Amino acid sequence: MSLLRNIASGLRSLFRNEQVSQELEEELNGFLEIAAEEKMKHGMSHHDAIRQVRLEQGSVDMTKEVVRSAGWESFVETCWQDVRFATRMLGKSPGFTAVAVLTLALGIGANTAIFSVVNALVLRPLPVERPKDLAFLENAHYGPSQSFPNYKDLRDRNQTFAGLIGYRMAPVELETDRGALRIWGYLATGNYFDILGVRPALGRCFNQNDDLRVGASPYAVLSYSAWQSRFGSDPAVVGKTIRLNRVPYSVIGVAPPGFHGTEVFYWPDVWVPMMMEPRIESNSWLDSRNTWNTWIIGRLKPNVSLSLAEADLNVVAAEMARQYPDINDGLQFKLAKPGLIGNMIGRPAKAFAFGVLMLAALVLLVACTNLAGMLAARAADRQREVAIRLAIGAGRGRVVRQVLTETLILSLLGGAAGYLLASYLSEALSRWRAPLDFPVQFSVNPDWRVFLFALAGAILAGMLFGSAPAWRASRTDPNTALRGASATWGPGRLAFRDLLVVVQVALCFVLVSASFLSLRGLQQALKMNLGFQPEHVATAAFELNLAGYSEERGRAFQQQALQTIQQLPGVQSASYSNSVPLSIDQSHTGVFPDKPDLRPSDRIGVTFYQVSPEFFATIGTKLLAGREFNWHDDANSRQVAIVNLAFAKRVLYTDNAVGKRFRSGITGPFAEVVGLVEDGKYGSLTESQQPAVFWSILQAYNSATTLEVKSSLPATQMIGEVRQAIARLDPQLPLYGVGSLTQMLGFAFFPTRAAAIALSAFGILAIMLAVTGIHSLLAYAVSRRTQEIGIRMAVGARPVQVLRLVLGRAAALLVLGSLVGLTLALAVGKVISSIVYQTQPRDPFVMITAWIAIALLGLFASWAPARRAMRVDPLVALRHD
Amino acid sequence: MADKPGDLIQGTLDMLILKTLALEPMHGYGISVRLEQMSKGVFRLNAGSLFVAFQRMQRAGLIKSEWKATENSRRAKYYALTDRGRKRLNSETREWGRQVAAITRILEA
Repeated sequence: MSLLRNIASGLRSLFRNEQVSQELEEELNGFLEIAAEEKMKHGMSHHDAIRQVRLEQGSVDMTKEVVRSAGWESFVETCWQDVRFATRMLGKSPGFTAVAVLTLALGIGANTAIFSVVNALVLRPLPVERPKDLAFLENAHYGPSQSFPNYKDLRDRNQTFAGLIGYRMAPVELETDRGALRIWGYLATGNYFDILGVRPALGRCFNQNDDLRVGASPYAVLSYSAWQSRFGSDPAVVGKTIRLNRVPYSVIGVAPPGFHGTEVFYWPDVWVPMMMEPRIESNSWLDSRNTWNTWIIGRLKPNVSLSLAEADLNVVAAEMARQYPDINDGLQFKLAKPGLIGNMIGRPAKAFAFGVLMLAALVLLVACTNLAGMLAARAADRQREVAIRLAIGAGRGRVVRQVLTETLILSLLGGAAGYLLASYLSEALSRWRAPLDFPVQFSVNPDWRVFLFALAGAILAGMLFGSAPAWRASRTDPNTALRGASATWGPGRLAFRDLLVVVQVALCFVLVSASFLSLRGLQQALKMNLGFQPEHVATAAFELNLAGYSEERGRAFQQQALQTIQQLPGVQSASYSNSVPLSIDQSHTGVFPDKPDLRPSDRIGVTFYQVSPEFFATIGTKLLAGREFNWHDDANSRQVAIVNLAFAKRVLYTDNAVGKRFRSGITGPFAEVVGLVEDGKYGSLTESQQPAVFWSILQAYNSATTLEVKSSLPATQMIGEVRQAIARLDPQLPLYGVGSLTQMLGFAFFPTRAAAIALSAFGILAIMLAVTGIHSLLAYAVSRRTQEIGIRMAVGARPVQVLRLVLGRAAALLVLGSLVGLTLALAVGKVISSIVYQTQPRDPFVMITAWIAIALLGLFASWAPARRAMRVDPLVALRHD
Repeated sequence: MADKPGDLIQGTLDMLILKTLALEPMHGYGISVRLEQMSKGVFRLNAGSLFVAFQRMQRAGLIKSEWKATENSRRAKYYALTDRGRKRLNSETREWGRQVAAITRILEA
């Protein structure tokens, strides 16, 4: 109650200032008059009485001030005064204000943009119910996928989860009026929506009862965005039939907006019950314990910790290992945060994001030193003003508040501009679609976390660069300051600004060397031997099972398509395979060496491809020994294989592989090696040499194949020809993955490229900031020393000596800053090499280049001030002030 | 007690004003005169601290004010106790008594 009254009364005097003040004045005047009347009763004249009362009580105005400043509103009022005054002062120097706000906007904007990416990847919870209780279950040794029978065992035997969902990303072909369209969806177990706690926007989601028997539940739940973009937001979509992979499904519901499954980067169009898997994918693996295709997320029961749940899962795992020793031997689980396929993508993505965020923070720090320098100069210029304010009775606290208000206004303006910049950047990033056959998308739209981050960044920056000038101002001695501004030009002041230059140069060095490192990493990654030559190779893929081809017709079609394409003008060679190296789709298998008494532990994991004749000639992989496959390596001949060098060493224990044999399973048939090829990169650019085996695709049919076409024409032109040639054979067949091999590599190069772009942007920002910073500090120093320089020149100093005076100090600071920067750069090199591949954090070439760059920019920044110093006219300078 | 005569023990001004107003509503000058008289000239308050106290107490809901004419038909703001102010006066008087008794006991021991 009394608090309310207090606030109300305070507000009244804030907003009806005039009236309240008048009332108080009237009351005080009345007080004076009554007091005077009393005195007049004792015989004083009216004039004397008033005078006497004034002497005793102080003036009415003074009392008014005392009463006014007692309420809380007076604090608000003085703040408001400070704000108005600060705005006026900033308005008076629009150049300074613009540069300061821009500097801050760049620093805060860069940080906020990077933070919104981190936020989207790592911090923002999944759009489901109680996301904190969800955990992604991964195999401690083999990564994120589990087999479906193992999933069922885990689901039924665990004690610590309220439920486990199994799901898988799957491409499907949607029939539309304009032909078949390849879209992406999720296969998900019946409990998926219930466990995640997702309620439909329209219709219903499927549940446990819709997922009981294989093939019995042709239901589809559309994603909200698919409903909007592919079905025109049709309110009557529920109950309609759509055809996925040529099988009719009835649409039973639409997922709520914003829900896009459990992976932060993946935006599917449709969910289908897991029991439809054999209809969606061509091979059924629901009963195969050795096909690791299912991802699992569990919802923990209340009050169950992650470690308890892990222990519980591993008890079940031990049972499962006893039951199926040949498959589940050594089975162990651990739990990870959901959203990024466990630690597979999660760990490198987090390391990358935080590394970049750290460098972005350095950019902000450079911006802050910049502003600190500018403000220090401004504060020195305004010393007289501060001194006058102190002299006429302003408290030092008030002076500090005034300076801080000004910097806070600057930093909030800069923060607002930076936030706008970041929103623009992240909106562009959200709209951006990776040129991949995969619905990758990041929802990096700023939310309240990003806003708070920008606000905190702005305030922190303001404190950082504003506290020194504020402290300085509070220590102003009005006596000396008013006697002459130059009197306070002491060594301490110089040292502070010198320190700023050193810090700025050091930080700039770190950022510049980071961006050089990343560019060099990118350059090396692009030059790296991939084990194949992606230039001039066009690709196109199709899937024949889904298009209704039997195996027999499919084989015939694949060969027919290849022959047609080989006859196109300009084609040098062509082949087809199940996949190409460094694309998203990589397959792994286990092989065994040719030796007696094989045990499960002798299994060696290898990457495998199924390829047609001429595959290596087409993608430009060197054949080191033996031969390529030919058209006789088919189902009727013995099992043959081509292996890479790493395979020869690991599995065959020799470089002389041709003619050797190995087993594809512990009791499986032997395969004879007919060719040896060079090593290459298969999964990622960073992997160590992986053993790889190539099977003849004629010996094991695969309905999903990619065509590779090497020609003398540019790949972009070849693609059109290939498309037409296939359309002539089957106009209905949808093609995907159409493009060049170089384009396809975009996926593999994406992290390196993104890092190089981000770090180069930081480097450029840092250089811009450092140049303006050093320039303004030197320019200010010169302008302050104009008089001194004038005197020196008047007594006979030559321009060279003046130049040495100005540049000598700058050079010394530059060298010192670079040394500090070099030490820092070596220290943070580890961070940089964690976000950029192929970097050596101590690359001397990079360090020297960075040093030269810094020296050049230092020279550039000090050029104008130095020239000004040399042109000082002693006559003018000495008349100065 | 206080460094110089006329300075009040911290926090007692409000209580004294409440006590003054317990008899009848008064204007600012009246209150100051009454305080001076009752203390036999020990407490001399300047207008500043008096009016700051009025503002504070009014905001705390202990007193209320009203413009009225004085006996010399001059307009003045009269302050009066609220119920809350009366309760506060009672509790503070009791507390004061307790403390003074305790301090006296200590000083005379």
